[in-house]
Amino acid sequence: MKPVIETRELCRFYGAGDTLVKALDDVNIRIDPGEFTAIVGPSGSGKSTLLQQIGGLDIPNHGKVLLKDKPISEMSGKELSDFRRDHIGFIFQAYNLIPVLSAAENCEYIMLLQGIPAAERRERVLSMLAQVGLEGREDRLPGQLSGGQQQRVAVARAMVSQPDIILADEPTANLDSQTGMELLDMMHDLNRNEGMTFVFSTHDPKIMERASRLIYVEDGKVIREETRNG
Amino acid sequence: MLMLKLAFRNILRNKRRTILTMLSMFGGYVLLTLSISVQNGSYVQVIDFFTRDSTGHAQISEVGYQDKPTLYKSVPETTDFYQQLMQVDGVQRATPRIVSSALAYGETKSFPVQVIGVDVEKEARMSFLEEKVKTGQYLEVGPDSDGYYSALIGAAVARQLSLEMGDELILISQGADGSMANDLYRVVGVVGSTEGAEARNVYLPLAAAQSFFVMPEQAHYWAVLTSDYERSDQLSQRLNSWLDGDSELEAVTWKVVSKEFYETMKADVEGGYVAYYIIIFLVCIGVLNTVLMSVLERTGEFGVLKAIGTSPGRVFTLIVTETLMLAVLSCLAGLIVAMPINYYLAAVGFVLPEPMEVSGVIMSHMKGLWDVKTFMEPALIVIGSAALISLFPARRAAKIVPVDAMRSL
Repeated sequence: MKPVIETRELCRFYGAGDTLVKALDDVNIRIDPGEFTAIVGPSGSGKSTLLQQIGGLDIPNHGKVLLKDKPISEMSGKELSDFRRDHIGFIFQAYNLIPVLSAAENCEYIMLLQGIPAAERRERVLSMLAQVGLEGREDRLPGQLSGGQQQRVAVARAMVSQPDIILADEPTANLDSQTGMELLDMMHDLNRNEGMTFVFSTHDPKIMERASRLIYVEDGKVIREETRNG
Repeated sequence: MLMLKLAFRNILRNKRRTILTMLSMFGGYVLLTLSISVQNGSYVQVIDFFTRDSTGHAQISEVGYQDKPTLYKSVPETTDFYQQLMQVDGVQRATPRIVSSALAYGETKSFPVQVIGVDVEKEARMSFLEEKVKTGQYLEVGPDSDGYYSALIGAAVARQLSLEMGDELILISQGADGSMANDLYRVVGVVGSTEGAEARNVYLPLAAAQSFFVMPEQAHYWAVLTSDYERSDQLSQRLNSWLDGDSELEAVTWKVVSKEFYETMKADVEGGYVAYYIIIFLVCIGVLNTVLMSVLERTGEFGVLKAIGTSPGRVFTLIVTETLMLAVLSCLAGLIVAMPINYYLAAVGFVLPEPMEVSGVIMSHMKGLWDVKTFMEPALIVIGSAALISLFPARRAAKIVPVDAMRSL
């Protein structure tokens, strides 16, 4: 099976000389389609940096990130934008919705960038928001939604454009544990039902239990991988 | 549509800042509109007055006369010539004139003057000479019962020679045939003021001037008017086409006839640009500050927009669009305020505290200009400047690296 994402000798350093920090050091991982993978490790271990590299949000000092065998580190700014728009869905810890757009408009935005016709956009947005349990709240602005609801919008926004992979950086960190678990269950259901590939970072043991595969990161290195029966 | 909605909602996010920025552009627009209106209004007023009163919109003269006016270069002054001239497309009025210098004598003193021979009736229809008679009356076509032709004298001539109505005026000059020209005229009126352009002039009926300078059925030039001085180039072209068969005559516009006046007016308009630049500069500073602040505050958000797939070009366009929206709304608000003020300026104008002389034209009041250009030009300047100013912050936002930008969230 061809991996969705693969990293080869991936390195990301900050600073120089005595202050050199190896945020990622020779990381080699592969994510296959349909996986529900958690990148785990303590704070500062390099989880978020790895997700940023996989998502093309940052440029590595060394090594490669391959999306379906295509090296994304060699892309131009515009190509990278298009790549993220068409292949990656992001879910951020702080939700990061556009505050002046409603829940529906936040989801619609990426499809607008993709050039999808208005009628189809509307249909997909309504269906997606219903899937994440936000039926009837489509026209609310992010500020009018709870943290959990905002993160559900973020999930819907990430999924509605039908990307190859969804990257979630500590998606439950800002939520209470019950809301966090509910959100994770919802993501898990979407993974099982829609076959969507999820990669998320966490250091919460309860959340790790839901993952079908665990990649342990420490001091910028992958120290262990574990596959479970999701 | 969603992008426009996003841009519009973004400008409503910080209402106080938006209002302050709009006030800056609104003020700039109103000030620019009124400045341009008064500047161009006075420009139009002065040129219109000057060309109607003095040069005409174009002149027909013998080739070389405009470069070096001389008594000997003349044009035909016949009924036939006039009738043909009036047939030329665009010609509304025309009058012949003879212009030369002479020495004027009163009872005890002499004074150098410029003699202008005018067709009494045509001149009255063309220039403001008749209206400028301050004392006495306008010229008579023919001589009076004593055989004197009438003369209108400038105020400086009247004062220097101590001449009053009914006094005799003696003129001495040279005729076009080389003979000594001298004759007696009866002063019938005084024109203008001692500071006016006509202060040193003596106006004679054309027949008297033709006889005095020995120029039968001749004049030095025909001053021609069309509907508007802005059509003078077109008029000149048509007149030259009509004169095509006559290699000795040419038509030139008022800009050539009175080059000095034209250059002065151009310099005056260019001087006005300094005020415009200051206004534009102030507007630009206000806009730059706002857009920069807005971009800085939303750095993290731009990072997110880029992270989810917004191209640098779209981020750039979003910021420019927001600025353009502000500028357009400000100009629309400015238009609502500027229109009634400018209407009043154009219709009524305002009286100057002190009358002002512009190249021989005395202006006691100024009027604005009511035309599309007066409202469009400032709008284009404000919108264009705002767009230009937004390019730098827009470029900055477009180039941010998502992961760096999102750290500020």
